[in-house]
Amino acid sequence: MSNSILWYTTRGAGAVTLVLLSAVVVMGILSALRVQSTGWPRFLTTGLHRNLALMTLVFLALHIVTAVIDPFTNLGWGAALIPFSSHYRTLWLGLGVVAFELLLAIVVTSLLRNLIGHYAWRAIHWLTYASWPIAVVHGFGTGTDAWSAWLIVVTAACIAAVGTAALYRMLTGSTDPLASPRTEFRAGVQRRELP
Amino acid sequence: MNSLLAGPPLTGPESLASHAGRLGPMPAVGPRFIDTLVQSRIAGRGGAGFPAGTKWQAVATHSRGDAVVLVNGAEGEPQSKKDRLLMSTRPHLVLDGAFIAARVLRARRVILYIGERHRAARAAMLQALAERNETERRLVSEHAAPARYVAGAESAAIHFISEGVATPTTMPPYPFERGVDGKPTLVQNVETLAQVALIARYGEPSGTSLVTIAGGVPRPGVLEVESTTTIADAVSLAGGASDQARAVLVGGYFGRWMEARDAWPLRLDQGSLRSHGLALGCGVIGVLPAGRCPVCETAGIMRYLAGESSAQCGPCFFGLRALADACTRIAEHGTNRDDLQRLDRWTEDVRGRGACRHPDGAVIFLQSALQTFGREFAGHRPHSAAEAA
Repeated sequence: MSNSILWYTTRGAGAVTLVLLSAVVVMGILSALRVQSTGWPRFLTTGLHRNLALMTLVFLALHIVTAVIDPFTNLGWGAALIPFSSHYRTLWLGLGVVAFELLLAIVVTSLLRNLIGHYAWRAIHWLTYASWPIAVVHGFGTGTDAWSAWLIVVTAACIAAVGTAALYRMLTGSTDPLASPRTEFRAGVQRRELP
Repeated sequence: MNSLLAGPPLTGPESLASHAGRLGPMPAVGPRFIDTLVQSRIAGRGGAGFPAGTKWQAVATHSRGDAVVLVNGAEGEPQSKKDRLLMSTRPHLVLDGAFIAARVLRARRVILYIGERHRAARAAMLQALAERNETERRLVSEHAAPARYVAGAESAAIHFISEGVATPTTMPPYPFERGVDGKPTLVQNVETLAQVALIARYGEPSGTSLVTIAGGVPRPGVLEVESTTTIADAVSLAGGASDQARAVLVGGYFGRWMEARDAWPLRLDQGSLRSHGLALGCGVIGVLPAGRCPVCETAGIMRYLAGESSAQCGPCFFGLRALADACTRIAEHGTNRDDLQRLDRWTEDVRGRGACRHPDGAVIFLQSALQTFGREFAGHRPHSAAEAA
């Protein structure tokens, strides 16, 4: 019985992670798109983006830990941390590990943004566009529930949401929303040409 | 008498001859002076109120004979006048403090960082510098600080001297670790340095502070007050009557609004104000007269602070602007429930989310306004054009 609880938890947490992660990506794109209104100023989008991202990690941790400690799967920590080292569905599970580790890099660099600088942070943040699709493919390939109607609907909704936002982002080609006010401010406080 | 502004009338810079004649030559203090400074418990007078002794200890530990002393006279707070007055009238007191710091911290450079619009202060400091001996003069360079609110922040000052851009940077690294051109740096407000000059001579600070009384008083300006002086005393020294004020802003734009009757008995002393959850900050005491509208006043200051964000962090740039816009909507079109709720909610979302303390200061100011002027914010009606004029 306890084994099946673990197994259900792995699957449920995986689905929740997919939904949350998609929401995080959409929020990230919306903040780059400068979406705002009177009741929803821009800084709320970034705040929600951050908080959802941290919550995603919680469910992702639950997804991974329950999968590993489930005696039935017999995965072991190596399979969860080293990509493509699993005997079980080597490719599909390996993709999950890759997506997880990319996400970890994105979160850790965000938390340490003050130390690593804006440009390095931004470059690594672009890896989201790799991490999210890999995670979706992992869900399809590995998922016990992949072909059940409800998960297909959920996955399709996630793909539609992120796809629409990403497409819109590509078409508008928006840049850093702070770039122009920052340049303006700097022009006001700059007194010397940089060598 | 042991005070900052004692001596000749405050009409122009005191000469070196007068300064030395009055206070004696600059004492030759050594490394143990830092202990005296720590015991004096003197706090920085630029706004943050950080203990000067602790700062000096940190710089001394990191200095290998290459430290930098950055004399902070940027005074970016629009209502504050006290740093300007001190530099314009008692420049040698500030220079003494700077050179004592240079000697004790084994610094190779002293940088005067004075607000570009404070022309009299800059002229007085440079004139005073010309009177000093060559060894001292050779240490010093002068930089005009851009007239922006954040330009006086420690990290912005360092960023400006090193790279020519007065925007705040993230800490760590702290100035005492990596400051101007990567050297350990002491950034100290000019009033604090003037106190250093007194401590080196008398073993203790003057026990007084410089404050600026601003707003609805007949004679706004700078006062030197004892630590026992109350806000009511200071306001009446500026010719103000305590029964005609609606509220008092303690500590400038990064300070807090207080009900006038609660503010009067408070003593203008860092420790005493701290025990009331307040801070002396840069020493601005702003009096809001009963006739002025606190909602419009608050909205105006929020617009100013939002405009002074250096646009480096999203929550500060977008958040302060959203808060200022909501205040302005209430001020111009009257109270509405949505904006009131937004103000309450968003202040918490902005706090602590910037690389520097700019958004935090603005939010603390706004929260104190919402608390003190709760009645006015809840029932504000737009003023007619005739009334506004």
